[in-house]
Amino acid sequence: MCSPTGIVADIFTPFQDYVNSEQETREEIRKIMKDIESPLREIITILQVIHHARDIEQVHAAILSARQTFEIVRKGFDRLDKIVPAGQYYRYNDHWRFATQRLCSLAALIVFLEKGVLINKETTAEILGANDKANIHLDLEDYLIGLLNLATELSRYAVNSVTLGDYQKPLQISRFVAELNAGFRLLNLKNDSLRKRFDALKYDVKKIEEVVYDLSIRGFGQNPVQPINEEPDN
Amino acid sequence: MYKSKAKNKRSKYSVGDKAKETLNSLSEDNPVLLMFREYGKTLDDKHDRYERIVKLSRDITIESKRIIFLLHNVNTDLDDKRLKVIEEAEQRLQTVIDTQLKAVALELKDQDSYQYHKAYTAGLQEFIEAFAFCSYIKEETVKNWKTMDGLFRYESEEKQPVSLVFPHVDFILGLADFTGELMRRSLNNLGMGNVEECFKLCNFVRHINTGFLGLMAPGYKELSRKAYVLRQSLTKMELVCYNIRIRGSEIPKHMLLSVIESNDANENEDEGFF
Repeated sequence: MCSPTGIVADIFTPFQDYVNSEQETREEIRKIMKDIESPLREIITILQVIHHARDIEQVHAAILSARQTFEIVRKGFDRLDKIVPAGQYYRYNDHWRFATQRLCSLAALIVFLEKGVLINKETTAEILGANDKANIHLDLEDYLIGLLNLATELSRYAVNSVTLGDYQKPLQISRFVAELNAGFRLLNLKNDSLRKRFDALKYDVKKIEEVVYDLSIRGFGQNPVQPINEEPDN
Repeated sequence: MYKSKAKNKRSKYSVGDKAKETLNSLSEDNPVLLMFREYGKTLDDKHDRYERIVKLSRDITIESKRIIFLLHNVNTDLDDKRLKVIEEAEQRLQTVIDTQLKAVALELKDQDSYQYHKAYTAGLQEFIEAFAFCSYIKEETVKNWKTMDGLFRYESEEKQPVSLVFPHVDFILGLADFTGELMRRSLNNLGMGNVEECFKLCNFVRHINTGFLGLMAPGYKELSRKAYVLRQSLTKMELVCYNIRIRGSEIPKHMLLSVIESNDANENEDEGFF
């Protein structure tokens, strides 16, 4: 009989070592992700100002502060780049996928507020600090899901802009999201999470269109400075 | 807001006019559309590659299963025939390494293999199963991960070294499947009255089970599922050994199998009542 006793030493011990070293890497990544998720929350909070302040100065200050907070995020991704082994981004990416998607939508929101244009993938990667890195990069699908998250945020922004008396903003948002929607229609999506998230885009589009419709049948869109004169909501 | 929503319902046709207007005014060189065309290409590339690898993986699975089936037929006392079968199995395994697995490796060249790991893990595990079964029948032992990893070294057309990323966990999962084949072999052996082999096989699987019991691998669901199946196989094999001992002297050896199978059927029936 051969020595089956060798099986444990020859086969399972190396595997246990493999598992252990993977766990260590994961632990390191988890630590870094904590340092990325905390500025992430902060940026989300900072940017909420757009829903209750029409004052341009206030919004600008928020954008500036959000951009500064992104510096901490970039430091986090710098560290992440050193931990993730070469060519193994997708082995560990479930640790940062969700946070990355949210960061993408925040970066996209900032660029939308600043210039009114759709952020591209390179710029997003630059803002996140995932560009030109050896072992990490910005995954295309994470970026795209980030854009879809942005549409949800913008549908809320459109509603609140009206409340704040800004009747131009919904029109701008409507154009922007319609373009985004047209863009997504060019993609051949598989039946995956991106596809599911895209399917929800139509609700955001609809919401925004309803706001635009409400404004246009009352002729509010033409006169941005018109005082708030809606029928009272009970 | 509420009132206007009610109004919307009545004259819905005009909701979305703005979006339509925007869509109609989009020209072909709109920067957003240009951007998305680019992304679309990248996504298509990825999906196509994924599908190609899935197909290869399926081919690997089919061929591996056939090789395993072939190897189950070596239960013959004719050494000459046994060697022939093993030789054929080895040759076919080598063909899988040199064609399908190489094709997977070439698809994954310059890619992050883990992105496509789900596409080829099933085929790879099945291959490990067949390979381990073959080397067990030949030498009564299995190769370790390092040796197997060494099988997947190739050269690209530009003479560059390419190797298939072979996650250690796939190896262990394939090995767990392989014990299922040992169980079948054990039953076949029993049917042929080849009781010596049953003890050997049982002992071997017992050691693999010990290895699994000693593992601490949180987060690998697949692993604990397979370890569970492995334990069931082992129980069955231990029952075989038990029956050989206890009734081996009572009835002809080739009839032992029916005894165990009827035991087995009774057990399953019992479980049904709970």
